[in-house]
Amino acid sequence: MTFAMLPRRKTRILALRYVGAIVLTLIFLFPVYWLFMISFKTPDEIYHVPPLWVPGQIQFSNYYVLFKDGDVVAIANSLIVAGVSSVVAIILGTLCAYSLARFGTGGENLAMWIISQRMIPPIAVVFPIFLIYVYFGMVDGFFGLILLYTAFNLPYVIWMMRGYIIDVPLELEESALVDGLNRWQVIWKVVFPMVRPGLMATSVFTFVFAWNDFLFALVLTRTEVITFPVQLTHYFGGQSNFWAKIAAMSVLGTLPIFVAVSVMQRYLVRGISLGAVKG
Amino acid sequence: MTSSISLDSAKPARGHAIARVLENRLPYLIIAPAILILLLVGLFPLIYSLVVSFQHVTMTENDRSFVGLMNYAELFRDARLWEALGHTAIITVIALPLELLIGFLMAQLFIDRMLGRQVFVALLVLPTVISPIVAGATWRLMFDVRFGPVGEILSFFAGEPVRILWTVNPSFVYPAIIICEVWQWSPFMFLLLLAALSNVDQSQLEAAELDGASYFRVLRAIVLPSIAPVIAVACLIRGLDLVRIFDIIWALTEGGPGSMTETISLYTYVQGFSQFETSYTAAIAFLVIALLTVITTVVLKRMELAR
Amino acid sequence: MADVRLSGVHKYYGNVHAVRGVDLTIKDGEFAVLVGPSGCGKSTLLRTIAGLEDPDQGTIAIGGAVVNDLRPRERNIAMVFQNYALYPYLTVKENIAFGLRARKTPEIEIRKRVSEAAEMLGIGGLLDRHPRQLSGGQRQRVAIGRAIVRKAELFLFDEPLSNLDAQLRDEMRTEIKRLHHEITTTMIYVTHDQVEAMTLADRIVLLREGKIEQQGAPLELFERPQTGFVAGFLGSPSINLIPAKLVATADGISAAFENGGTLDLPRSRAAALREAIGRPILLGIRPQHFSRASGAPLREGVISYAAIADLIQPTGTRTFTTIKIGGVDAIAELQAHDVESHGERIELAVDLNRAVLIDPASGQVIN
Repeated sequence: MTFAMLPRRKTRILALRYVGAIVLTLIFLFPVYWLFMISFKTPDEIYHVPPLWVPGQIQFSNYYVLFKDGDVVAIANSLIVAGVSSVVAIILGTLCAYSLARFGTGGENLAMWIISQRMIPPIAVVFPIFLIYVYFGMVDGFFGLILLYTAFNLPYVIWMMRGYIIDVPLELEESALVDGLNRWQVIWKVVFPMVRPGLMATSVFTFVFAWNDFLFALVLTRTEVITFPVQLTHYFGGQSNFWAKIAAMSVLGTLPIFVAVSVMQRYLVRGISLGAVKG
Repeated sequence: MTSSISLDSAKPARGHAIARVLENRLPYLIIAPAILILLLVGLFPLIYSLVVSFQHVTMTENDRSFVGLMNYAELFRDARLWEALGHTAIITVIALPLELLIGFLMAQLFIDRMLGRQVFVALLVLPTVISPIVAGATWRLMFDVRFGPVGEILSFFAGEPVRILWTVNPSFVYPAIIICEVWQWSPFMFLLLLAALSNVDQSQLEAAELDGASYFRVLRAIVLPSIAPVIAVACLIRGLDLVRIFDIIWALTEGGPGSMTETISLYTYVQGFSQFETSYTAAIAFLVIALLTVITTVVLKRMELAR
Repeated sequence: MADVRLSGVHKYYGNVHAVRGVDLTIKDGEFAVLVGPSGCGKSTLLRTIAGLEDPDQGTIAIGGAVVNDLRPRERNIAMVFQNYALYPYLTVKENIAFGLRARKTPEIEIRKRVSEAAEMLGIGGLLDRHPRQLSGGQRQRVAIGRAIVRKAELFLFDEPLSNLDAQLRDEMRTEIKRLHHEITTTMIYVTHDQVEAMTLADRIVLLREGKIEQQGAPLELFERPQTGFVAGFLGSPSINLIPAKLVATADGISAAFENGGTLDLPRSRAAALREAIGRPILLGIRPQHFSRASGAPLREGVISYAAIADLIQPTGTRTFTTIKIGGVDAIAELQAHDVESHGERIELAVDLNRAVLIDPASGQVIN
């Protein structure tokens, strides 16, 4: 192992590093492999002792069941809730971030207060929110969840977009102001194209956070608007689990995330470190 | 030299008055909706909680009289609460260093350029982005005593059948939770540390190499000081997540057996949604917030000092 | 076309008083250069004229109309920035057209003006490229092109050449000068480089600590500085400042140095200096006012001075050599082959007619 690319050492241990990399990847991906594999197994194969390492054949009946029983509605609900709340959070958050970044609105304190909102543990607010939602009849509805996820993701969006906007050279905006654009046009025609990659990345992470959330969904959904993590926990049983459904549902709930994140890989480090590490 | 300043938009004409106001007030206009939502959904429940925590409200009794610090005093008598805090501490104290160490070793493996590195990194970070509930569910399948592969693999290495009820046996529930947690979040540390290590000044490393410094000397004198801020941020983010850990445990053990793996978040949930102790739940919530605030402040202070 | 008139302009950044009461008139069609050391407020002043900063006090008028309350886009100005401020996601063509599109100029007109500007700047072949595919000099041309097409009544340049290497800078300087001759728009140019200031300006405005130290035609400032600061800022290498004391002699006034040496000052200046006799001064002699004595009789006010050449720095055309005057180091600018080796004894002629005498206490030039 080295810190630097020092040629002599490099060649000597390259082969060793490949072995290490492959073993490591196998270990870390095995659970994911297992999940996918079970989702393709027949009940006989799932409940086989000792466990079968590969399914006899790739068959989709486990997924078919999810569609037939209507369980996939949970995926659709998750898509709606995570999608809409991300779009709203991105729009409102980016505008707010622009104001913070360029006009210093509210000073350093407001920016700090906003990021501190991110640090508040969901468990500390979920109960009062639940009571307020009960009062306003917002439990088990789209609007309540979307509002909650929007609020939950706003600090993240504001914080990240503030960083991306600060990275845009001020002169570009000033030049546009001199050239005849007003502020709204500057935001739309100059800032937006410049931060588009960061905006896309932030949207993806916002979506992922809302998509993956369990606690809020657990508390605020009942029967109408169940999201996929909550649906998943319905398959757990005290003695036995609905293995086929767990596996198939998990795969369905994971694929979109895999796709989104692999597209955004370049921004992954900055995204998950709250902008502290620019990768 | 006549002025042609009265071109198009130059005239502050009356029709532009609204547009002008919109632009003059723009910093506040565009910040307002976001702040409003944050106040509504972020701050309002906290204030509500604060008020309720000084009352004695349960789901069945709506007694609005103030009882002072009674709920907070109750916190100190509640053995189950302190056990839950202890469970949270155990998981945090074991999982966080493990994730950091494994993440660091992984980053070391990939710090030098190698063909296909991008692919390896992309695959290795997958656990981090999946839903913690899915992670928990996956390991629930993995650990199953009859149909799961973990027992089978252990049997292979032990040379005799190994049958462990991972999520039920008191000796194995914590290892099970920590394995799942470390599996999901080591890649997070890996990714951040890989980025940090790539930013270590190459010329310093080369100078140290020429000076003949040992691996550990280079590590201590150059690498660690350089990546310390990233380590601090990564530990802060993960530390806060660990203190409020909920999903993985819900999926794996639901706090069981008994309340053996009940963390502070699970206990708060139980108080709120099973015991319907509205006021007491609020008091616990503020205990958690105080705890997290202290941790955050201490870490940030130390980071500032180190700078 | 427009003149620019600033009166009583002040600008604060928190506690920092960046611009401290500037009154300035720039005539229509004039090329004015704001110059000064970093932090003197020259960029702030330019940005205030552009409307990117609001003055805390004072008025700004362009073309006779006060523009304090107008936004940058309403002032009909064009500006070239130090970092070019090109939009990386737009092609060169779209970058140049950006300001025209913002003003809803008809497409035909846009095309015409873009190709005119591109031709003028020799970037016709680059129109479909993106900024990242251009060299520094090309980017600067695009930035200037973007300003030209606007046909604004005022051009502002904020240190446009400081990111270019030396050779390109010389080249672009010439281009900008030529540009001004062609389009004759009023231009205000900010730089910290005195060579740029001297070569480009119709009028130099020298700023120091937020105030105008002196303004005027380049050679006027160079030859008749009003303060020691102006004398020291303009000219390369800088003027030699030698501490001395004015003493009366039999046939006039001399500068007496701390080490005992004296230099006789020209008789023509005696009258003006009489009052300062006995006072300490700084004697300012520009390097180019030294020459190798030819042996011919010296003009009035030119004195001979024997010195030992210390450091020798040939530049090809001229050679700078360090000598001692009155016990301190001074630089003399001589012909390329006037001095060959370290330690050489040289006979110099010093033209004191153009020497600058500065009162060290006030920094003012004594006339």
